[in-house]
Amino acid sequence: MLKLFEHDKLDVNNLKPEQIAIEVKQLNLHFGQKQVLEDVNMAIPKNQVTALIGQSGCGKSSLISCFNRMNDLLHDCEVSGQVIISGQDIYHRKQNVATLRTQVGMVFQKPNPFPMSVFDNVSYGLKLQGVNERRKLDDAVEQALRETGLWTEVRDRLFESALTLSGGQQQRMVIARALALKPEILLLDEPTSALDPLATLHIEELLNQLKAQHTVIIVTHNMQQAARVSDYTAFIHQGKVIEYSDSDSLFTMPKQKRTESYITGRYG
Amino acid sequence: MDKWKFNLAQKQSMITSATAAVAAFLVLVLVALSFFIFIRGGNFFWPQNIHTIVYKRQDETLQTHFVRLDAKTMRVDEELLHFRYSSPEQLFDGQLTLNESNIISSEAAPSVAVVALKNGGSVIAKVTSITDFQGKRVGIEQFAKVTEQIDEYLQTINFVRQGELADIHRGLAAMDKRGVDEDAPARVKLAKRYYQLQDVIENVERKLDGYVLSVEFADNTSYPLFMQNVSEFYYPNEMNVGEKFLFALSAFGSFISDAPKLNNTSGGVFPALFGTIVMVLLMTILVTPFGVLAAVYLYEYAPQNKTTALIRISVNNLAGVPSIVYGVFGLGFFVFVVGESIDNILFGDDLNSTTFGAPGIFWASLTMAILTLPVVIVATEEGLRRVPQSLRDGSYALGATQAETIFKMILPIASPGIMTGVILAIARGAGEVAPLMLVGAVKFAPALPVDTEFPFVHLQRQFMHLGVLIYDGAFHSQNIGNGSSFIFACCLLLLLIVLSLNLIAIFIRNRLRKQYAQN
Amino acid sequence: MAYIEINTHISVGFNKELENLKNSVLTMGGLLEQQLNDTLQALKTNNAGLAEKVVINDKEINSMEIQIDEECMRIIARRHPTASDLRLIMTIAKAIADIERMGDEIERIAKLISSSKVPDSDSLKSNMLVIGEHVLAMLKDTLDAFARLDLEAAQQTYQNDEEIDAQYKDLLSITILEMQQHSDELENWLEVLWALRSFERIGDRCKNVCEYVMFLVNGSDNRHT
Repeated sequence: MLKLFEHDKLDVNNLKPEQIAIEVKQLNLHFGQKQVLEDVNMAIPKNQVTALIGQSGCGKSSLISCFNRMNDLLHDCEVSGQVIISGQDIYHRKQNVATLRTQVGMVFQKPNPFPMSVFDNVSYGLKLQGVNERRKLDDAVEQALRETGLWTEVRDRLFESALTLSGGQQQRMVIARALALKPEILLLDEPTSALDPLATLHIEELLNQLKAQHTVIIVTHNMQQAARVSDYTAFIHQGKVIEYSDSDSLFTMPKQKRTESYITGRYG
Repeated sequence: MDKWKFNLAQKQSMITSATAAVAAFLVLVLVALSFFIFIRGGNFFWPQNIHTIVYKRQDETLQTHFVRLDAKTMRVDEELLHFRYSSPEQLFDGQLTLNESNIISSEAAPSVAVVALKNGGSVIAKVTSITDFQGKRVGIEQFAKVTEQIDEYLQTINFVRQGELADIHRGLAAMDKRGVDEDAPARVKLAKRYYQLQDVIENVERKLDGYVLSVEFADNTSYPLFMQNVSEFYYPNEMNVGEKFLFALSAFGSFISDAPKLNNTSGGVFPALFGTIVMVLLMTILVTPFGVLAAVYLYEYAPQNKTTALIRISVNNLAGVPSIVYGVFGLGFFVFVVGESIDNILFGDDLNSTTFGAPGIFWASLTMAILTLPVVIVATEEGLRRVPQSLRDGSYALGATQAETIFKMILPIASPGIMTGVILAIARGAGEVAPLMLVGAVKFAPALPVDTEFPFVHLQRQFMHLGVLIYDGAFHSQNIGNGSSFIFACCLLLLLIVLSLNLIAIFIRNRLRKQYAQN
Repeated sequence: MAYIEINTHISVGFNKELENLKNSVLTMGGLLEQQLNDTLQALKTNNAGLAEKVVINDKEINSMEIQIDEECMRIIARRHPTASDLRLIMTIAKAIADIERMGDEIERIAKLISSSKVPDSDSLKSNMLVIGEHVLAMLKDTLDAFARLDLEAAQQTYQNDEEIDAQYKDLLSITILEMQQHSDELENWLEVLWALRSFERIGDRCKNVCEYVMFLVNGSDNRHT
């Protein structure tokens, strides 16, 4: 029989070691007395876009902030279990958090450009790494901006304040800022919730391109967005991963009743 | 009855009116204050017209004077007029206070001049003639030429004294030290030269004394003034407003560039102005890093618990401590404890005069820095609080440590807030007088804290301060006349300094705001 | 006139998916054309083997229908198409059902040929070939109209069905006359009637597809009017 459509799908529950970007083992997260994540086990495939969906407060944002230890900054936050990136448990006591965060970039809900020029924004991370050579910075900034498709739009305004950019441009610049450090993994916490639909589509398309070089993990409130942008989707409910599979299956034939209820907009 | 009920719109407008009235009152107070200071201070520079008055003395005899009106005051139901006049007995500080009813006649006296003397005083009299050293009368129109001649003589004397004469003195002193004989030829030669030069000086001085400016008072008595004491004379009645304004401007110029004269009632205030500015700048340099670092610790690093809250409350309360308490603290701790310890460590037993163990500009600045510290801390904390969490997160997410985040991102963004604190600190520091008098500000300081003498900055020196000058003037000069004008002029200047320091700081803050604007 | 531009989405992936989907429908249509062509060829040359092959190939068409159906569902679930994209996908979902049914009709004719039950009548055969060629032409036009999303072509092709219907009616009366002369092979002749009806049905389904194309391009539904 002739096969009309090719869709490569990995079975996320049986990934080969070389296909895994992040492996989460028995992850539990508490904020004080409250348990936010419960026994999370999942393997996130390399060079793919993985979406985390679920209701507000279900723990999806907490889960990705475990991947670059941003939750360390929060008061009385306790983590147990393992998050293995590049073969190392990032919660190991010898892990340098600053180094980790250069390898695992993060982009937040609201565009948060620093009140500096576009150039200073994008080169901020590199300068922290001690890169001060002008030519290297120039190259890195250009490359990062090209990667996000922003270069042609801002190349004449590199030294103007980043706040003069539009919302969508700001968010792409923030992504470029993270990309300048050449992270293996890019975490996005509802990156388009403050943007208009068109800017949103541009960001989504950008993510699609980025997966060639990076592993992308996106948290979103917007199921449609998860459906559009992701290759794999995990549905999280009350701190537990209810269903995790390739997005085609999850959005056409979910296996769990609760997933079905959530993605079809029923009370579950 | 309904007539007295207000509808909603009326009630609204009443509230508006009430608040507007308060604001208007505030504006009125501000305007009145500035106007009062400006008028009274400006009076010091403005050439007042001269009048000839005839008044009744207490013994019912009549007296005539050329006078200048200094001030008017009210006592019970009559107005008192304060005049300045000159007479042979009271050449430049003749004071006259009269009831208006005692004045019989008063008319403008256009031919009367104000002769400004080099010691800061001025003589109100008719200028009649100039006599040169040969006793020859010279026309008044030759005044400029004669003055030039006199300046030349004065320069000659100065040149000889500072130049060759000083060398001879040094040479003689050196010979003394070496034990050279009284009649050694070299010594005799020097001595001879010395006497020659002394003769030259005496000769010139005799000539100088010969130049006399004759003035005439209202009672037609003539009085000779040595030309070498006279700096200029002018006819205020003949000046128009423009000329008077220019005269006032140049008077203001010399006010801020000259040293005080006549026991701080005349002349300029340059040392006090300089001292004030140096003290404020030094204070700013000290307080800014201190306050900023303390605020950074309190807001960014310290755990937000009860201890921190207690420290914060204490800092806020420090702002309310009376400034004299800081003065006492500065004297008791900085000067006597810290200063003396430094003296002991540096000089030990060789100490022949206290250096750091005495009040000085550094201790004054340090005391003022402590005094203004709470302002800077509170403002900086406020600035830090305004930096959104999202920017901190953004920085951390790019692999920045907490210190990197604070110093590369948060502090620059908070800098307008910090500048606000510094502005408030400057405003407070420049206006504070009481603590300064304990820790280094004096009525008269022989030298500036910064000069050309090595090591250029003398932080242990005492200094003059405008506020102290005002305080001193207000409490110690009993006359209400020109002395009080001098005080008001100082007030005006102090206001201008505070204003311009603030304007500079506000300018810097606005630039920072623009640079680090949040959307 | 609505704008139908498949290749202008921000999402490159979506562009590709729509392009693929449309191409796969054309592939399916091409295969159908091939089937009809082969059937006519088999009829002309009495080639039972070729007819056999047509019957087997119909499975391919069935499988394509299922694949395209799934892809449509996947795209709806993942991309949430709207406006022209939605109409395109709905059109495709419906058109492939019709195409599949056309495949079934062709299969029926091919079965008749492969079982050598076609009565030995030259006039019948030539008449069948005539209507067959006509239907083939209409099918080609329909697929062309769909490939180019050409409103005018679709409208013209839509009109053609009437000719086929008329032809079918004529052919039916001729065939009935002939049937009366060959009453011994009545069973076979009934099969022939079915085959003729199949040609006519293919024409109807082409008409349906044309309607879908008109709906897709025009954005208005003019079925049943």
